[in-house]
Amino acid sequence: MNNISTYPIISAEGINFAFGQGELRKQILFDIEFEIQPGEVVLLMGPSGSGKTTLLTLIAGLRTLQEGRLNVLGHSLSGASQAELLVLRRKIGFIFQAHNLLPYLTALQNVQVMFDLHPEVTPVEGRDRASRLLQQVGLGERLHYHISRLSGGQRQRVAVARALVGNPQIVLADEPTAALDGASGREVVNLLQALAREQNRPILMVTHDARVVDIADRILHMQDGRLTNNSRDSSPLTSLAMNSETST
Amino acid sequence: MSQRIPLAWLQLRHEKMKLFAAVSGVMVSVVLMWMQLGLLQALFASAVEFHGSVNGELIVIHGQYEYLLRNQPFSSRLLHRVLGSPHVQEIYSIYAAPVEWKNPWNGERRTIQCYGIDTDKPAINLPMLDSQLAVLRQTDAFLYDRKARPGFGPVLEESAKGTLIEPEINRRKMTLKGLTEIGASFGVDGNIIVSHANFLRLVSDRASGEIDFGVIKLRPGADVVEMQSQVQAILGKEVNVLTRDELCERELLYWRRATPIGIVFSTGTFVGFFIGFIVVYQILYTDVTTHLPHFATMKAMGFSNGYLFRMVLSQSLQLAMLGFVPGSIIAGILYAGLRSATLLPLRLELSRGIFLLAATILMCVISGTLAIRKLRTADPADVF
Ligand SMILES: Nc1ncnc2c1ncn2[C@@H]1O[C@H](COP(=O)(O)OP(=O)(O)OP(=O)(O)O)[C@@H](O)[C@H]1O
Ligand SMILES: [Mg+2]
Repeated sequence: MNNISTYPIISAEGINFAFGQGELRKQILFDIEFEIQPGEVVLLMGPSGSGKTTLLTLIAGLRTLQEGRLNVLGHSLSGASQAELLVLRRKIGFIFQAHNLLPYLTALQNVQVMFDLHPEVTPVEGRDRASRLLQQVGLGERLHYHISRLSGGQRQRVAVARALVGNPQIVLADEPTAALDGASGREVVNLLQALAREQNRPILMVTHDARVVDIADRILHMQDGRLTNNSRDSSPLTSLAMNSETST
Repeated sequence: MSQRIPLAWLQLRHEKMKLFAAVSGVMVSVVLMWMQLGLLQALFASAVEFHGSVNGELIVIHGQYEYLLRNQPFSSRLLHRVLGSPHVQEIYSIYAAPVEWKNPWNGERRTIQCYGIDTDKPAINLPMLDSQLAVLRQTDAFLYDRKARPGFGPVLEESAKGTLIEPEINRRKMTLKGLTEIGASFGVDGNIIVSHANFLRLVSDRASGEIDFGVIKLRPGADVVEMQSQVQAILGKEVNVLTRDELCERELLYWRRATPIGIVFSTGTFVGFFIGFIVVYQILYTDVTTHLPHFATMKAMGFSNGYLFRMVLSQSLQLAMLGFVPGSIIAGILYAGLRSATLLPLRLELSRGIFLLAATILMCVISGTLAIRKLRTADPADVF
């Protein structure tokens, strides 16, 4: 295994974050502290507006950290340069609420294009890997479909393939099932979980969807910008988490 | 298919109407630029058609020569002074003067430019001239410029039928003996060529030996610039000794100053450039705007600004090429049409093509660079 797995994938301590300046300043995150271990599937749940997405953008280096310590995949995010953040983001697999696929590309091209971030992968190999992954998410028959000709669930499955194709060291997902009906949402989450498990990739997923909690090793609850259960023991799925911990 | 994804192109062609509009814009701009520059160049080229055909390295003109139609003759005896130089192979004399042509079909009088050449050693290279020197020696014989403007009568049609054409020129009945080609230009609607003797018959106030152009042909290997100053020194201040290019340049200088056509066509060229620039900018700008969420997504996933900039820039280059090729073909067709309608020497010149290609690329790259600024507003933090 690579060295990343020997210490926490993500460790956060004392994170405070606010939008706006002066009078308009509004603090969103308060004293956030948590860790994610290699291979863990963690759900981040909580009411709307509680700050889940904001926390996710901080982890992904999409917003500048204001206060606290945040270490992601071995990168310390306080005072990180744009170039370093870019390097970090290339190690992350992203899944968005809306699929955010490029509408002018086919399913295969949408996945394949990720290899422009990995010039060490030859185009031929990239294409092979992309089509294999699409087969695994059940789209082997639709490689050359444009995005507009795929259903919502199929699109999100392409997004799963796109997120995983570059062998990311963590997958960040923000409500990937929100736009889908129950069955296809379930399917997407199952696929994501299966593929991530297979490669021992950790997942941090924001969700409102109570039906998918069973995939989690652990659940973080957020309320008004604070994590309310900050320990493994408060998780309803402690036993699962313990299992996965002993296996690593 | 094992290439990297041609992302820029796939995005560009995604919306066919927009692509079509952008390419049309570039095309119109390219056609406009071709036309404006072509006409400018052709108009100027037509003004020095005669000067450029002179067969010699050095040309002697009167010191007061302003342009073709405002000139003073000088004595050809001056020229003989340079014959002693070992580098001079031959000297020639050319008479030139506007004469009055009376249209034999309707009696209208018009001015036509008349050149008197030495039929033993013609000093100019004109189409079909050499084979007609013998007939030119006949009394009152002349050659007619087949690229003259209409207005002198149906000369070409009638002569093709074999009709004897005997117009009154300067009130003297002359006989058409053949055709040559010089072309009309500013202030000159057409040309005729005659022998020295016939010129003196036509232009009765011109004394023999009072010539308009002296042409000096140098021996091979002679240093033209050095000979120019030598000859100038020998001939003195009354005349100017110019190289052929200098003579053309001097003639053009006059027309550049005397007419606004340089400004008019340069402005036209710039307008063409500007139209293309605006269209491409508009299209790329709206394209970047509509794709902003996609660019933001790509930024979030780790694509660098440079990658996305290059993407938009390659789109602008693609538009440049897509517009340039058909635009140049259309220009070629229009050139051919105008060539036969106006008799202007319009040609798709390689050098102009290279210049216009560079201008088109520049136009698209500037547009692309401006459109790229919009890319900065793609905030990857907005994608979740
Ligand atoms: N760009 C922004 N500027 C100012 N305030 C913002 C911005 N983005 C989010 N907020 C505010 O921050 C708070 C937390 O937003 P966030 O998107 O993190 O919530 P969330 O937990 O993801 O909610 P939801 O479940 O509805 O997605 C909200 O009150 C929101 O209004
Ligand atoms: Mg959210």
